[in-house]
Amino acid sequence: MLAQELALGILSQNRRSLARAITLVESSLPKHRQAATELIRILKSQASPRETLRIGVSGVPGVGKSTFLETVGLAMANANHKVCVLAVDPSSQISGGSILGDKTRMQKLSLHPNGFVRPSPARDTLGGTALRSREVISLCEAFGFDRIFVETVGVGQSETTVYSMVDVFLVLLLPNAGDDLQGIKKGIMELADFIFVNKSDLDPHACNRMAKYCESVYELIHTPREGWKPRVMTGSSLSSEGVDELLRGLMQFEQFLLQNSYKETVRRTQKQDAFLQELKIVAWDQFLKTKNNVINKASSSLIEDKISVADALWQVIEGE
Amino acid sequence: MDNSYQEWKKLAKKEIRQEELDSLFWDTPEGIRIKPLYTAQDLSELTYTDTMPGLFPYIRGPRATMYVNKPWTIRQYAGFSTAEESNVFYKKNLEMGQKGLSVAFDLATHRGYDSDHERVMGDVGKAGVAIDSVEDMKILFSGIPLDKMSVSMTMNGAVLPVLAAFIVAAEEQGVAVEQLSGTIQNDVLKEFMVRNTYIYPPQTSMRIVGDIIAYTAKNMPRFNSISISGYHMYEAGADSVHELAFTIADGLEYVKEALSRGLAVDDFAPRLSFFFAIGMNFYMEIAKLRAARLLWAEMMAQFEPKNPQSSMLRTHCQTSGWSLTEQDPYNNLIRTTVEAMAAVLGGTQSLHTNAMDEAIALPSENSSRWARNTQIILQEEAQICRVVDPFGGSYFMESLTHSLAHEARKVILEMQNLGGMAKAIELGIPKMCIEKCAAERQARIDSGKDTIVGVNRYQVDKEDEIETLEVDNSRVREQQIQRLQAIRKSRSEADVKEALNAITQAVKDNQGNLLDLAVKAMRLRATVGEVSEAIALVCGRYEAKNNLISGVYAKGFLGDQEFMDIKQSVCDFNQIHGRNPRIYIAKMGQDGHDRGAKIVATGFSDLGFDVDIGPLFQTPEEVAQMALEADVHAIGVSSLAAGHKTLVPRLIECLNALGASEILVFVGGVIPRSDYEFLRQKGVASIFGPGTPVIQCAKEVLKLIEAKGKD
Repeated sequence: MLAQELALGILSQNRRSLARAITLVESSLPKHRQAATELIRILKSQASPRETLRIGVSGVPGVGKSTFLETVGLAMANANHKVCVLAVDPSSQISGGSILGDKTRMQKLSLHPNGFVRPSPARDTLGGTALRSREVISLCEAFGFDRIFVETVGVGQSETTVYSMVDVFLVLLLPNAGDDLQGIKKGIMELADFIFVNKSDLDPHACNRMAKYCESVYELIHTPREGWKPRVMTGSSLSSEGVDELLRGLMQFEQFLLQNSYKETVRRTQKQDAFLQELKIVAWDQFLKTKNNVINKASSSLIEDKISVADALWQVIEGE
Repeated sequence: MDNSYQEWKKLAKKEIRQEELDSLFWDTPEGIRIKPLYTAQDLSELTYTDTMPGLFPYIRGPRATMYVNKPWTIRQYAGFSTAEESNVFYKKNLEMGQKGLSVAFDLATHRGYDSDHERVMGDVGKAGVAIDSVEDMKILFSGIPLDKMSVSMTMNGAVLPVLAAFIVAAEEQGVAVEQLSGTIQNDVLKEFMVRNTYIYPPQTSMRIVGDIIAYTAKNMPRFNSISISGYHMYEAGADSVHELAFTIADGLEYVKEALSRGLAVDDFAPRLSFFFAIGMNFYMEIAKLRAARLLWAEMMAQFEPKNPQSSMLRTHCQTSGWSLTEQDPYNNLIRTTVEAMAAVLGGTQSLHTNAMDEAIALPSENSSRWARNTQIILQEEAQICRVVDPFGGSYFMESLTHSLAHEARKVILEMQNLGGMAKAIELGIPKMCIEKCAAERQARIDSGKDTIVGVNRYQVDKEDEIETLEVDNSRVREQQIQRLQAIRKSRSEADVKEALNAITQAVKDNQGNLLDLAVKAMRLRATVGEVSEAIALVCGRYEAKNNLISGVYAKGFLGDQEFMDIKQSVCDFNQIHGRNPRIYIAKMGQDGHDRGAKIVATGFSDLGFDVDIGPLFQTPEEVAQMALEADVHAIGVSSLAAGHKTLVPRLIECLNALGASEILVFVGGVIPRSDYEFLRQKGVASIFGPGTPVIQCAKEVLKLIEAKGKD
């Protein structure tokens, strides 16, 4: 019932329905999961497929992601794209609560007829909201959005999770990132298709230095996409400097994706990743349920120092 | 001496029947340890003792004779509705013993919008008088001789057109600009920390401040070019050390700005004035004013002024609005009296005493009279004025003054290490400090650690209804719109356009004096909104980013059962509904006071809610749209500037129109009880008056969300 109603709403471009559908997909209740699965099934069978671009955006707090997304998003919305931003804000480990939108609120884009902004609490990572972003993307695409941004705070695992669900990955950097640059940034630089060194309005020289440094790193490291060398740009989301160039770059990247049906490969990988990640969770739940007794037994033997960790694992695998 | 102190200690231990005196010490929220007894020994450790009033470092007052010669100025801040009504009110007050005027503008004017702008529907004439042009300003001061009356104007955002309108109104009254006396607040730095009635980005805003200082230094020798304000920081929750430190640091920033214009320090520094809040912590507040004078004198030395007045801090004070309660409101008369005492014992130059109903509404005629009489009674019945600085030489007061100055110096130094106050504000650091203080203070009240009579202790069973003043906002707006139309018809459009273009060009080229150009434009009957827009054309309207810290409120409740219970209910909710309860905290209209909204946001998230924070200055349409897209269970509207009767019903209409009628709407803030029924009828789920503990709000919100049964 609920799934039917929401699907209808989404297909007729009702924002309220989309908002509620996102809530449904993000819910942790099993009965909601069922309805969500059905909703996605209906949308898959009824929504007309269209060319979309899924864009991941990452960067440390304070780098100016929200201003950047608003500027870039508005430029796209004004060019008649339908733009949505899915922003995941961290939840407190202690209270479980969260403050949403204090840094990610993009008012102008929210209120643009072609825009939609949805902040979500991260909750715990395993099975949390970030993982559901994939399904939320499919809801937004069914609604008619063709530019989908997934924003992530550049800490911990969230960026690899997001990387696995987008077509293009964009990393924002600050010009004066300092000495910690060498090690930490390399991991994320390997994933990036675009690097945008932000805040050139404050210090253009430092921006250029940072950009040069990034380029020199790309001379040394191997990047995953054959035929696309990561682009390093400088600019300012506040003054819009460099934003046009970035938009052009994204268009070129889209062209690149369409060549040699590279995009199909990317999307296929996304699906496989999604399947595997979800499978891990489901399998783990399942495993815990069926092996509950053996696990407890092995665990207590282990604690009492009767057996080794390796033996405990064997007992669980072999046991009923 | 040492012997007798030991004797005293023995006696004290016997009296309290304890081995140590630890229980008699008090750590203030500022982190200052107050001893139970101070002695001559404490004086010997201080840098300045035995100082004289009127002489460096001015701890004991900026004048030699202080109130003995001339009492402080009774200056009541007021303004509402139309210029006509405020004018009548002013004249009546002056007859009744008030000495200076202090104009409150409505929020539309503050934010540089004309009354006919769509974004200010709920704001016109509320919480201050609506001024759109010179014509309004002339009516406001009609029959009040501006060459004799000192006029203080609380204006920061739209400071150029408003000060210009004042100058032109005086000119057309036949009063030359040199004769004007009074103060313009013109303190934009604190607007970026608290209060939020800025219009432009920091850089442009600072240029405007500098232009005004330069203009007044040249043309208005009797006019205070700026009122460097700690008041709003205190009201936003800052403790006395932070209020003091940030205010002095702001002052230094303005001095540097003016010096960078090539002015000599003695050209403008004597016309810098200050504005502090006076709260309930009696001794601390007295010490605050003494320490402020000491710090300013010390800090100004680096600029090597020749004129002693350049390092003399003169201040206006206002009793704290936050200390007022809606519950058992007659207590507020007593609170204000105690605070007024602290202000004058601290040596203020002028004072506003709050009316007892200011926590709920605009002051009524009666409550305004009582507020004014509080000061008259202190001056004329209590013989307070007969001696200069009666606390001078007190072991405790001198020591506290130095401790406070010492703590404040540390904070000032921190700000300087960040590159000065403007830089620190850009980084959002002072704002975060103040919000942290605020959440801690609220938690102390809500958990009962701080007593507030009638709120968390000694409550009364039945609250008295008190009469409040109400402004018919739509009528004021109509009248303003008519006057605007008349002005636009009768003026020379071409001339106005040229004058406005000159302003835009001057902003672009960073040349010329903007106040000078604003005076020319206002003289030709440009409006407040037009002059503001002429500047915004170049630099845009500024939107500050919020930064919120979580966990601060929860800290005040370690081990509190009620707090844990609500947290558990939130967990249970999550188990049943698959997500946390989610609430959108909204600020609508031009009301920039966001302390309440932020405390509620922090508190709710600490209790496990998902909290969406909306930007400032939203329209009901915008709130409805964004709340709907976030799919929240509820919207919490924080209203402190009397716009609720227009904006809240509109919000509910919008939600209904968007098919989101199941989103509950709550309202909190300054809402008169007489409006509760009206709001409920319009569909508001529940209303939280001032002083409602955050956990009570959370409990009620959760209960009603659950009752709605939405999942």
